[in-house]
Amino acid sequence: MDKMNYKGQIGVTSHIEMGSLDGAMLPMHDLVDECLYSSEMDAQKTQPILSTQRLLFSGLRVGGYKMTRNGVYKSIKTVVFSNKLNLLMPFGPLAIMVHKMSASNSWVFFLSLLGITPLAERLGYATEQLAFYTGPTVGGLLNATFGNATELIISIYALKSGMTRVVQLSLLGSILSNMLLVLGCAFFCGGLVHYGKEQVFSKATAVVNSGLLLMAVMGLLFPAVLHYTHTERKVGKSELSLSRFSSCVMLLAYAAYLVFQLKSQNDNYVPVGEEGSHNGENDDDEDEVPEISKWESIIWLAIMTAWISILSDYLVDTIEGASEAWDVPIAFISVILLPIIGNAAEHASAIMFAMKDKLDISLGVAIGSSTQISMFGIPFCVVIGWAMGREMDLNFQLFETATLFITVIVVAFFLQEGTSNYFKGLMLILCYLIVSASFFVHEDPSAVGQSKIPKT
Amino acid sequence: MGERLQQQQSGRSMILAAVAGVALTAPLLGMMGFSFLATLTLLFISLPLLLLFSPLLLFVGLVFMVALAGFAIAATMAFAGVSALAWIYREIRGSLGASSWGSSLLPVKFATKMDYKQQVGAQSHVEMGSVEDRSMLDLDDECLDSPGTEVQKTQVPFSGQQLPFSDGFPIGGNKMIRNGVYGSIKTVVFSNKLNLLMPFGPLAILVHKLTTSNGWVFFLSLLGITPLAERLGYATEQLAFYTGPTVGGLLNATFGNATEMIISIYALKSGMTRVVQLSLLGSILSNMLLVLGCAFFCGGLAYHRKEQVFNKATAVVNSGLLLMAVMGLLFPAVLHYTHTERRAGKSELALSRFSSCIMLVAYAAYLFFQLRSQNDLYSPIDEEGSHHEEGSDNDEDEAPEITKWESVIWLTILTAWISILSDYLVDTIQGASEAWDLSIAFISVILLPIIGNAAEHASAIMFAMKDKLDISLGVAIGSSTQISMFGIPFCVVIGWMMGREMDLNFQLFETATLFITVIVVAFFLQEGTSNYFKGLMLILCYLIVAASFFAHEDPTTTDQSKQPKT
Repeated sequence: MDKMNYKGQIGVTSHIEMGSLDGAMLPMHDLVDECLYSSEMDAQKTQPILSTQRLLFSGLRVGGYKMTRNGVYKSIKTVVFSNKLNLLMPFGPLAIMVHKMSASNSWVFFLSLLGITPLAERLGYATEQLAFYTGPTVGGLLNATFGNATELIISIYALKSGMTRVVQLSLLGSILSNMLLVLGCAFFCGGLVHYGKEQVFSKATAVVNSGLLLMAVMGLLFPAVLHYTHTERKVGKSELSLSRFSSCVMLLAYAAYLVFQLKSQNDNYVPVGEEGSHNGENDDDEDEVPEISKWESIIWLAIMTAWISILSDYLVDTIEGASEAWDVPIAFISVILLPIIGNAAEHASAIMFAMKDKLDISLGVAIGSSTQISMFGIPFCVVIGWAMGREMDLNFQLFETATLFITVIVVAFFLQEGTSNYFKGLMLILCYLIVSASFFVHEDPSAVGQSKIPKT
Repeated sequence: MGERLQQQQSGRSMILAAVAGVALTAPLLGMMGFSFLATLTLLFISLPLLLLFSPLLLFVGLVFMVALAGFAIAATMAFAGVSALAWIYREIRGSLGASSWGSSLLPVKFATKMDYKQQVGAQSHVEMGSVEDRSMLDLDDECLDSPGTEVQKTQVPFSGQQLPFSDGFPIGGNKMIRNGVYGSIKTVVFSNKLNLLMPFGPLAILVHKLTTSNGWVFFLSLLGITPLAERLGYATEQLAFYTGPTVGGLLNATFGNATEMIISIYALKSGMTRVVQLSLLGSILSNMLLVLGCAFFCGGLAYHRKEQVFNKATAVVNSGLLLMAVMGLLFPAVLHYTHTERRAGKSELALSRFSSCIMLVAYAAYLFFQLRSQNDLYSPIDEEGSHHEEGSDNDEDEAPEITKWESVIWLTILTAWISILSDYLVDTIQGASEAWDLSIAFISVILLPIIGNAAEHASAIMFAMKDKLDISLGVAIGSSTQISMFGIPFCVVIGWMMGREMDLNFQLFETATLFITVIVVAFFLQEGTSNYFKGLMLILCYLIVAASFFAHEDPTTTDQSKQPKT
């Protein structure tokens, strides 16, 4: 959704200013995550032809007609075989096999991590395809919810196992890696490619997102500070109730943010829609052609979610074993390794868009994802934990909260200018190195003594 | 051909300078020694008499002797000065009309000061127009104390432009390229009123030998370092004329805060890592709040009606770097204070060293980025016309005052002097803290940087009053960035090599102070305008910081023992 929103909001303004977004009124779908790895040409020769446009996640480009009924085989071909990243897919079942055969936790962890990566990317693809059929509003909501579905699924499984600390750390790690690593790489690569000029992006959206991130930090800061100054009224209970209340407030804020974005998008689109045929909106089939039918999207969505759940289960089970086997703290694995590998697809797409000088979309991928996790993912997990009876709160411990705070401030500062160059990207990447180094030497007191509650 | 002739001449003058230098300093030292010996003899003779009569007289006698010694030194220097003057006069008579040398003189100083000038130069050409395309020399530290005209009447005219660090020797458009030793000394040593503080250096050494008063030695060596620091900056700029923009920029970037670095390295050697941390922190704070605040304040008062503007982009980049430095400092401190390190004591050190390397890489990238964007900015402007004096061979406006070898020699001499005085400074800091009943933290964070930075302070204010706010910002914020992204990590790495356990954990109080200060300053800078009120707020913030350090007892310095010097 954030990706869409970015597109929507700049759509109008940039029409006048930038002009670098060619065919500015292209639907969201095309702009997000274009062909990840191989050029379209390769795919064309070997795969059946499906639609005109350069479609996401598949480099199929020909003709001008839509295939609405794919057989099961064609469907599988479209979804599963069209992306090079899907070479990693066999690792999923392989992880399950290794788990059954040997007791090597670290291998199972590593293989399930690799197996989840393509599934996460396909999930995003299926969500976008479905969004074609549901119209912009519900489509936006879909993307807003499922945008970080992988992280949420992993978190819910961890919550079920009672590993609340892993949940906190992995969500925190997602935010940090999106804000620093993904954004930094995007700025850096974009800056190198477009060396002479300074790339610009929509300052307004960046500022709104920074504001939301700061609000999330505020929501996380109070329970932590309350705990560390030992000034809560009822020790242990106060933070939890404060966290749950704050989570509801944050979810409300996120819902309002979605409403605000959708409404401003609609307002932006109505006048623009009449401007000409170059703007391909809802009923223009020439530009956005979904590759699979509506029911196929839903089915694939369900299948992907199920697979991700299975692999997440193995992932969460073996994280402690992997930490012992590799001699790295659980904090480091949760905060640094998990998000980097899990986010690989988004990472690559953000870099690609930056190199094509579509920095707003990169920003949407990176910062929008961070906002989504911080304002929706974390509070949602708290509420789910509440429903499950797990004591998940917003007290991320002092070290992590301080890390998030300084990171959000640094990034908000970098974003407020509205321009980017390779040096800013390099600085963000170096900041991420400092963050990961500090987590490498950081011993998380609560993760060490965390026992796993038998799965319910 | 003129180059070769000039090279021959400079080679000859170099040898001459060396010989003359020896010849000059020998009698100087001789006179100093003689006067010292004389006073000692006098004291020895009169001591029994004084003892017989009254202890008070003895004290008075001592003071009298010290004053005598001081006078002797001053007299010697005056003598040397007068003779140098006469020699110079003769030299000028002989070599009026010598050709100027069109060597690689690019009017680009790349320190923080240069950078600001450069970046402003290109853009402001369109916007402001208030930053004239004068030579770099003019822009930095112009006449510190007196107006140039006064001096003109009394001193021999030296060169065309009103050059910084030298009280206006305006004459024709001629440049002296060959300074003899006298000329060199005159240019470097006698041309700035601040150099009146120079005798305090040797005086400090003298007092140290004579008495055990640590407080006085500390104070005197501090005063003695101030003019040397300023001259070091001058020598660096002069050298930068000869080395071209790139190396010149690198030179200024490294030597810009050489004084603080030398003091820190001596403190590291003595094992006083806390003093290092505190003095570097104090430098950053004083540059960001005090110097910048004074510059904004004075500039705002001088330009009462309009709001002064500065280049927002550079300010934002510098603020971003400062924030990154704060991040680098924050993690080890928070790691330590949440007691969450994997191996207590070792983890922070390892993290600090890793972060320092990263920060040095970031600083190198920053220099690279600035130099590249500067070059890109300048090539189109060069073609725009003669009003843009960026051309390498335009000698009219930027004329270095001393030759390349003189710069190098002076650089070495000044660095050596600063090292000597730093040694005394570091040795006596604890004694001074006890004598004056101030905490070491306060002395290191507040006093040391204020006095050490006096020259930069004055120059920043002066430029602000001339509405060249970008240069003031370059001096102030650029210096802070340099210390935080280069100075501190460099000290950590040097400590690593020396085997000292210097880390980036500045303790919670200091880290919190730096954090809030950087946020406040970044916030003030992001608008791109300034007025006297902003300056006043920054100065008042500095007063708050100073007061909090006055009331702050640093737990680690009270029991820090000095390790034997290696």
